[in-house]
Amino acid sequence: MINQDILFLAIITLSLMCLLFLLLLYLTIRKAKEIKKRREIEDYKNKINTQIFSIIAEGKRYRGIGCETAIKQKAMEELLSRYVKILEGEEEKERLSDLASDCLQGYYQKRLKSIRWSHRMNALYHIEDFYMIKLLDEVVILSKKKNITHQELIHVLRILATFQYNGLKEVLYYHDLSEYEYRSILMRLNHDLFDQFVLSFHKSTSPLQYAILDVISLKKAIEYRFFTENIFMSYKGEVRLRALKALAEIGYVSNIEPYLHLLHSSSWQERMVAAKLIGSIQEEKGIPRLIELLHDQIWWVRSQAGQSISQFPNGKAILQSVLETSKDTFARDMAWDWLHKGV
Amino acid sequence: MLNVQWLDFVSVFAWFIAVYMVIVIVFYSVILMISMLQLRKEYQLDRIQAYEDYMDEFYTRPVSILVPAYNEEAGIIQSVRSLLSLNYPTFEIIVVNDGSTDGTLEKMIDQYEMKEISKVVRKQINTKPIKTIYQSTILSNLFLVDKENGGKADALNVGLNFSHYPYFCSLDGDSVLEPDAFLKVMKPIIDSNEEVIASGGSVRIANGCEIKNGHILKIGLSNNPLVIMQIIEYLRAFLMGRIGLSRHNLLLIISGAFGVFSKHWTIEAGGYKTDTVGEDMELVVRIHRLLKEKKVNKKIVYVPDPVCWTEVPEDMTILRRQRRRWHRGLFESLWTHRGLTFNPKYGSIGFISFPYFWVVEFLGPIIEFLGYIFMVLCLFLGGVYIEFAILLFLLSCLYGSLFSMAAVLLEEWSLTKYPKVTDIIKLFLYSLTETIWYRPMTVFWRCEGVWQMLVGDKSWGEMKRKGVSK
Repeated sequence: MINQDILFLAIITLSLMCLLFLLLLYLTIRKAKEIKKRREIEDYKNKINTQIFSIIAEGKRYRGIGCETAIKQKAMEELLSRYVKILEGEEEKERLSDLASDCLQGYYQKRLKSIRWSHRMNALYHIEDFYMIKLLDEVVILSKKKNITHQELIHVLRILATFQYNGLKEVLYYHDLSEYEYRSILMRLNHDLFDQFVLSFHKSTSPLQYAILDVISLKKAIEYRFFTENIFMSYKGEVRLRALKALAEIGYVSNIEPYLHLLHSSSWQERMVAAKLIGSIQEEKGIPRLIELLHDQIWWVRSQAGQSISQFPNGKAILQSVLETSKDTFARDMAWDWLHKGV
Repeated sequence: MLNVQWLDFVSVFAWFIAVYMVIVIVFYSVILMISMLQLRKEYQLDRIQAYEDYMDEFYTRPVSILVPAYNEEAGIIQSVRSLLSLNYPTFEIIVVNDGSTDGTLEKMIDQYEMKEISKVVRKQINTKPIKTIYQSTILSNLFLVDKENGGKADALNVGLNFSHYPYFCSLDGDSVLEPDAFLKVMKPIIDSNEEVIASGGSVRIANGCEIKNGHILKIGLSNNPLVIMQIIEYLRAFLMGRIGLSRHNLLLIISGAFGVFSKHWTIEAGGYKTDTVGEDMELVVRIHRLLKEKKVNKKIVYVPDPVCWTEVPEDMTILRRQRRRWHRGLFESLWTHRGLTFNPKYGSIGFISFPYFWVVEFLGPIIEFLGYIFMVLCLFLGGVYIEFAILLFLLSCLYGSLFSMAAVLLEEWSLTKYPKVTDIIKLFLYSLTETIWYRPMTVFWRCEGVWQMLVGDKSWGEMKRKGVSK
């Protein structure tokens, strides 16, 4: 009985021991291999670096740069990644993109089909960075795959946007994304493609609507001010608020009256954004109400009112007089704060 | 007669230990599997690329960095300097001088040409009064708040009240951040469209690395056995435990050394609690609790990428103090929120996280300690076959080492690699010895922590720092 117990434990101990040493063996061999591979990559990078530079910077013809082994491909990828970050000129970018297509197209085609998720993701990152538009078809095919992960999908859509792919709208409508994701895709579009989304605003889901308005706001796209004002007039709730925010960023409205009323809105968010708008277009008629808003019950409204007043040419004087005459401590504090903003 | 009773007790206790060990091993194995799948998936992912998109100012959320400082004149300038070179679009640094008695305040004022400013502080949490607020004339995003002494948690609360941005990060004075630290931890928050409200990164050990001006120049392995054991311990805790727990939103700890929180939810939860030694864990538990009570679906996650390097104790006395304090902090948090345990209202936090922390993390060392005493008693009173004891010991040795080695493997799969083959062999050999000396030692210290708590000792224990940066 006892012997059996001990035998049993001894077997477990031995097998664990074996497992442990196998693990160690695996780790050390791997590590040694990795170190060797890294050295080879660095060596090859040093070898071809000047050549690559003259190809990209001066448009020299290239011959004898091999990309046939995995190590050479990796070296090329790393070098190009480094250059793509520092390049400014369009011509140079184009040359880099050509070079990448010539050397790495096959490599990325294969990688896009890899069963390893990280391989596919890396390929996508580089296709976008090197602007490898020749791989557009492959990327479109990937976007239609059923078992694509969410992260891959987002990146695929970003690439399609960067490449100004005409069918993007259809692909995008087919998927449910978050507001942030929509925004990062829409931000990459040129005017014509973005227009398509603006035109179908009414049919869009709310996250897409928010994203469209945010992009207008971030780009301060003055050409969409009528559209944005229209949205503000005909919608309610968050969409209306986002439109108002976009108008505040654009800094232009055709008729100020409806916005002045908003300074009395029962929703504090509306009061706050309206105050922001009045400040950014510097509408004198709004000043008395802005001064009242300095003692609004909501801190954010008070702070925004202070900021908006300080944007007027005579803003400092107004704040100074509030500080000296107001009986309300909140208003005085806020005036003080905006008078002494920064050092 | 007595002997018969003793033998009964022996077999009952032996069974108890065996069952306990099986439960713990099964639990760890499950967690290990989850972590392995996760890290394997991301192995060799080009992380720099993955973070690049987030450098755009449009997408990122600004962050306030809170640096509580109490008598840190030796390292404060270096710490702030390392923060200033962070790779992140918008952030502010708020150094809170918690009534230091040394030259911390003067040094900061001199170095960064700070000037007094008048500012309305939105008081959302009650704190000790603020004396003066300074802003740097050369760097407009650097602030210094001078306040009366009230402890670390109170200083953090002051920083929270003062901060301007919707997310904040609490930072230990001696941590060295990776330049991409904020991009890394903010990514899940932005990606999830703010469903994630707090996120913590992996903390690594800076002892043995070459650091200059708050930057890691070379990653190295220390020669101090105590430090190497702690490296193994950290790898295991961060790469195994936290990835597994985070995946199912079960995380109860975000390391005090580095974590980003949503200000809104932190304030809603009442800020940091000032009368506990484990204020970081306590806050996370309180936020979880609030989320469950309000029935909102928000998450707290862990990012396996290394984001921050910190100094660990190199000698026994200080390590001992730290471990006693950690264990006391753990108990305080668990005890304050004991109502969550097995409470259906709190879902998986109540049914998995809390029982796990009670049984494995808190009771584990006590049970292990009893086991050691039991072994010794058996030697004298009889009842345990010596061969059996040796084998059991070997087994626990191996199981400890196996998990440690698995953690080293996970480390290889994640980002930072120790550069040499010998480093791996060194980690391996040390992890084999863990059961002989390091584990019993820490188990004993943790039990001391429990004892301190029982007798009502409230001391924090001084932490001496050598300073990691040159």
